Amino acid sequence: MTNRRFVLAAFATTFLLAACGSEPEPQMAPEPTGPTAEELERMRQDSIRRAREAEEARLRREREAAERERQRAAEMARRTLTETVYFDYDEATIRSDTETRLRAKLDILRDNPGVQLRMEGHADERGTSEYNIALGNERAESVIQFLTGFGLGGGRFTSVSYGEEQPAAQGSTEAAWAQNRRVEFVITAGGDGIGR
Amino acid sequence: MLKPGLAANRTHGPARPAVHAARRGRRPPPGLPPIILLAGALLAAPPAHAQDDVAIPGIQLGLAYENLYIPPLAILPFTGPETSREVINEVQAIIGRDLDFSDRFVVLDSLPEGLADEGIQYSLWDQYGADWVLTGDIGEFAGRHFLSIELHDIVFTSVERGRFPLPPLGDEDFRMAVHRISDSIVEWVTGDPGIAASRILFAMRPFGNPSAKELYVVDSDGEDLRRVTWDESIAISPTWAPDGRHAAYVSYKTGLPRIYELDMADGGERAVEIGRVEQQITPAYHPNGEELAFNLMGAGLFRYNLRDECCLAQLVGGPANNIQPSYSPDGDRMIFVSSRLGEATPQVYVIPALGGEATLLSPYRYGQGGYFTDPDWSAVSNKVAFAGGIHRRRVMNRYHIFVADPEVGDNRLIQLTAEGNNEDPSWGPDGRHIVFAGERSNGFGVFIVDSGTGRTRTVVASVRASDTDWSPALAAGPAGAGNP
Repeated sequence: MTNRRFVLAAFATTFLLAACGSEPEPQMAPEPTGPTAEELERMRQDSIRRAREAEEARLRREREAAERERQRAAEMARRTLTETVYFDYDEATIRSDTETRLRAKLDILRDNPGVQLRMEGHADERGTSEYNIALGNERAESVIQFLTGFGLGGGRFTSVSYGEEQPAAQGSTEAAWAQNRRVEFVITAGGDGIGR
Repeated sequence: MLKPGLAANRTHGPARPAVHAARRGRRPPPGLPPIILLAGALLAAPPAHAQDDVAIPGIQLGLAYENLYIPPLAILPFTGPETSREVINEVQAIIGRDLDFSDRFVVLDSLPEGLADEGIQYSLWDQYGADWVLTGDIGEFAGRHFLSIELHDIVFTSVERGRFPLPPLGDEDFRMAVHRISDSIVEWVTGDPGIAASRILFAMRPFGNPSAKELYVVDSDGEDLRRVTWDESIAISPTWAPDGRHAAYVSYKTGLPRIYELDMADGGERAVEIGRVEQQITPAYHPNGEELAFNLMGAGLFRYNLRDECCLAQLVGGPANNIQPSYSPDGDRMIFVSSRLGEATPQVYVIPALGGEATLLSPYRYGQGGYFTDPDWSAVSNKVAFAGGIHRRRVMNRYHIFVADPEVGDNRLIQLTAEGNNEDPSWGPDGRHIVFAGERSNGFGVFIVDSGTGRTRTVVASVRASDTDWSPALAAGPAGAGNP
């Protein structure tokens, strides 16, 4: 059975070759050969590209890491800049924890002269609403005075007072009031340039 | 102080007050000095359990008007064709309540059968104890209703008559038209204007937007509460113009507090452009209606001519906060709040209207502190109301409503409230009632206190209102028919 099949196959091959009408070549096992010059050039180019891409990726990663770090630092700086400061009851004077936070802002503002801030003054609910607007304004102005007192240009700062109208914490407890006697900071210009 | 008076009153019971007796040409009952009678009138509002800690030391807890007698007034059932029954009932209900709210009468409206059957028999009513008897008759002519009233003076046996056209029931001006009739009755009897035809502006957070504050308006009897502003921003410090048609207020809708003027009749609004960058707060009209005084934050108190849109001028400067101006009735002087004695002790001062030396009106005592704000000078009675309290060990005492008379040099103050916190007092058109934003055991709200009797009533219940401001008397026409 096997033999018959072989014979058939051999016959078919002979017939096919004859049908082609060409001279039958001697059947040789394909010998392993090196790449052609073309292939070689292509491979060389590929390797260069790969190396370049690897380097670019490495640089990109480095840049991205640096950018992330810069953004992280900028975000930290923004967070420090916009960190709310707090005041005592019916006072607009800068207390010590507020001074620490303002000094941290001061460094960032010096490093980033393009940054402008809006100070938003607030008061707790005690006292009349109109007087609390005046008090919130005093707090905002007191913060601006602190910063300009260290040589920063007053033109970088604006202020608005909301009085007791926009509480950060609800409720009529000392804890809520302490959260509401505050100045919030909004970056109005130069925020994208921080840390560059 | 108050307590002895109260005690005395309880001992003696409801005596026939001296003024009443005098009006009837009789002598006051012996053994009842007027001071006790004053306390009797006072019983209505300040609670009998009033204790020392509700009153500020050195300040009298009591009433701004002494020795008032409140005459009984009987209202007979109003008459008219049965086809007008709905109008008759509505008119009688409104007038009855207005006369009660006027605090000028003890209204008698549950009368014994037969007393009114045979016309007005003065001797019978005198016997019954009424000083005044009111009748009303609704007539109809050419499709319009009219109200004819007779006000009988039982003591002096005279009668006052009036005939008033009524808008159709359900018309926007119907209630105000009836309120104006009530005020006519009050004026016949007392010679003073009434409070019925007036409205109250105030600020509160709108439903569904807890960070916003909008203006609302309500009739002085608590009816017809309506929202005025729709800025979805913070709207505060409304103040009526003397014409009763316009009102100025402060809105944060551009991001900074700025003053706007509303037309309450047609809903129009304009920004008050004064050409300054400072934040603008606490507007107040000059009695001439043309000038507005206000605070430019950080710069002081200024005035500005609204009609000619010119002439910005500084009235008060200096480093302290100077806010919340309010003009005297003649426009020659002004009261305002200043922090010049220190940040924690705002006080109320009087100055000449064009600026000058400031005189302290509120009860500042060195070392004691104190917090006095929200002054309002009545255009009618010439008295000043304000809110405040004292600090005790740096803890805020409660805020109460005070009344001072700037014409009297002794700095005598009267404390009108004794419960909860009370702010933003504003005089009514009679110079006697005061609206304020208050707090009671059952919640916050808008309240009216009568400085004559101490009686307090709720205008709007269960709202956290602030910045209450009472209109002048609203005349007929566009202002009175106002549709804000």
